[in-house]
Amino acid sequence: MTERRGGGVRFGWTELTPAELSLQAEVRAFLAAELGREAGRRPGLGMNGAASREFSRKLGARGWLGMALPKRYGGAERSAVDRFVVTEELLRYGAPVGHHWLADRQTGAVINRFGTQEQKARFLPGIASGELGFSVGLSEPGAGSDLAAIRTRAVRDGDGWVISGQKVWTTGAHRNDYIVALCRTSDEADRRDGLTQFIVDLAAPGLAVHPIALLDGSADFNEVVFDNVVVGPDAVLGDLGRGWSQTTAELALERGGPDRFMSVYPVVEAFLREAGSAEPSGLGEQARRFLGRATATFWVLRNMALSIARAVDRGESSVHQAALLKEMATRFEQDVITALLEVIDIQPVNDSPSVFERILCEAILTRPVFTIRGGTSEILRSVAAKAISAQEQVSR
Amino acid sequence: MTDSLLTDTVAEIFSAVCTDDALRAAERDGFAPEAWSAVAEAGLPWISVPEEAGGEGGDLADALAVLRLAGYHALPLPLAETGVLAGWLLAASGLRAARVPTTVASGPDLAWSAGTVRGTAGHVAWGRAAEHVVVLAPAGDGAVVAVFNSADLRVEQHANLAGEPRDTVHFDGAAPLASAPAGPGVSAETLRRRGALTRVVLMAGAVGRIRDITVRYTGERQQFGKPIGRFPGVQQHVVSVAQQAAMLEMAADLLCAAAVADPGLTGQAAMFQLPAAKSIASDTATIASAAAHQAHGAMGMTQEYPLHNLTRRLWAWTREYGTGTQAADKLGAIVAAMGADAFWPAIASGGAG
Repeated sequence: MTERRGGGVRFGWTELTPAELSLQAEVRAFLAAELGREAGRRPGLGMNGAASREFSRKLGARGWLGMALPKRYGGAERSAVDRFVVTEELLRYGAPVGHHWLADRQTGAVINRFGTQEQKARFLPGIASGELGFSVGLSEPGAGSDLAAIRTRAVRDGDGWVISGQKVWTTGAHRNDYIVALCRTSDEADRRDGLTQFIVDLAAPGLAVHPIALLDGSADFNEVVFDNVVVGPDAVLGDLGRGWSQTTAELALERGGPDRFMSVYPVVEAFLREAGSAEPSGLGEQARRFLGRATATFWVLRNMALSIARAVDRGESSVHQAALLKEMATRFEQDVITALLEVIDIQPVNDSPSVFERILCEAILTRPVFTIRGGTSEILRSVAAKAISAQEQVSR
Repeated sequence: MTDSLLTDTVAEIFSAVCTDDALRAAERDGFAPEAWSAVAEAGLPWISVPEEAGGEGGDLADALAVLRLAGYHALPLPLAETGVLAGWLLAASGLRAARVPTTVASGPDLAWSAGTVRGTAGHVAWGRAAEHVVVLAPAGDGAVVAVFNSADLRVEQHANLAGEPRDTVHFDGAAPLASAPAGPGVSAETLRRRGALTRVVLMAGAVGRIRDITVRYTGERQQFGKPIGRFPGVQQHVVSVAQQAAMLEMAADLLCAAAVADPGLTGQAAMFQLPAAKSIASDTATIASAAAHQAHGAMGMTQEYPLHNLTRRLWAWTREYGTGTQAADKLGAIVAAMGADAFWPAIASGGAG
């Protein structure tokens, strides 16, 4: 019946346990002390938050990075929901999460799942302590949404490999320590076969990183060129030729989290802070309606993302839920800024004394990327649509 | 919460009585007597009304689960009105519910004096079909709950966008069958909140059905030699419907849990989640209906095809017990009063703080 149809993309309701709520209180207290008291602090917008190895180390020291990793590798063996609790608070404060973001969100989990004992011992403690920053090398100039078209190639050379090619849109490669690069290791009938993930030191000889300036003046994206980069056999992550399915599993981690609807949350909060105090009699009708709709949507999307984290802890695949959620959540991130602009009468300037106005500028300039990074909306709709109709076939 | 045995059984009953013919007849006649008999025989309208008040017992979670299925099947009966609304008014005020189709009337134009109610109530759901009309009318500083035999009232027939009776009922001083001072927690405001709760839940059911029939149609209908659901342009609508359904189902799940924990709907969580869910219901219904119709093409516009049973109800229900815009305004005011530091904690806790 209702429960069975479209069941592949359903979201079960869940709530935080007392233990999870106490973690939440702990994280809030830490962040309020660490970030909350800084008057006039400019919050970061989601994963665009500043990169601070020092801040990441502090989180690591509290056991709040790589939370699901095994204790023997520095992790806390905690749940995906615990990570969700920490993450949503970091995003809410606009914390400087840039340094650890990708490693904590996905690379640690992938190495833990597919890596060798040696790789785990080598990388996971650094991820859990906030020391190591990782980049993810997927897109290439000729392979964006069509990921199987990648041409960066790893060729056997004795025991090891030689990698040549070019990655693009690689977040943080100019400041991170390692990159996990998806490379072609053989040519097979199905293009999705013959791909392999490699862990490569970003300081390796032959590897060059060129920042790509974006329209807002930021340069966190990079082009990464591999010119005969020599790596050992221990650089191979997981099984040879199985890079596609490993990457697919990784994308679920990348798409289903709170970062997909909270990028501009600090803008809305800053609006409430500044507009609310500027109008002692309260907000105008238009502003109240905007705030109410935004609040309601944050509330529902937040619970859908929490539901995905709970499903991950039950060992369920959430690839399709993540695609469905990311597609609408990132559109919401854009729409909420459009709706906000309709209820205010300002011409925002970048160097305004108002924190709200400054981060509003950033949000306006960066919002087009929300529906592009981590899988374009078009690709996500295709992933979700196949899952929805496949489920219908099964249920009939 | 609710066990699947109950929902499976109820789904079977609703599925059997909500045939295309039955829905058409109900719209023509303003009631579906055979459907009512089957549903009443199973006791479904009186779930969550205590046995000592003439009900079936059971908790609000069960009643809301049944209501969601009623929305899914576009059940043409005063189900929400008989139990969750009228049954609650009666039981809370020490009166007994009768085993007849019942509706509720309330509004600023009604007044209790000299042992009767005078005035007019508009948009009374299923007014002409109800045997009993339970009225909540202001009386001095408080309010009175009174039960009338509808045969004693003047009923002016009107219908909503879905052809469901939304009648104007004139109270001209007839003697009530029973009356009592409104019980603890019963007020025009709490009745309105409870009404909004029923509409969110009904709408969650209806939008879920829209998703299911849209997925099915786009998988079966062929153009250019393949199912239209294989075309990205159509997939976009299917995904949109699925997203909106998932959002409203989540909002309804959360709200139901809050309502079960706080059946009076007076706590902070209910005050936050009711307008939040109502606002979500309004937005998701608008988007999902439009996308579903676009995916169905002209077929979805016909009386023959069942889509309109759901979309017309959504368009009507979304404006009952407050509009989405009013709900957003209310929630915005709540959040603004809490202030910026409490904003995220309110979102994350659903208003519990």
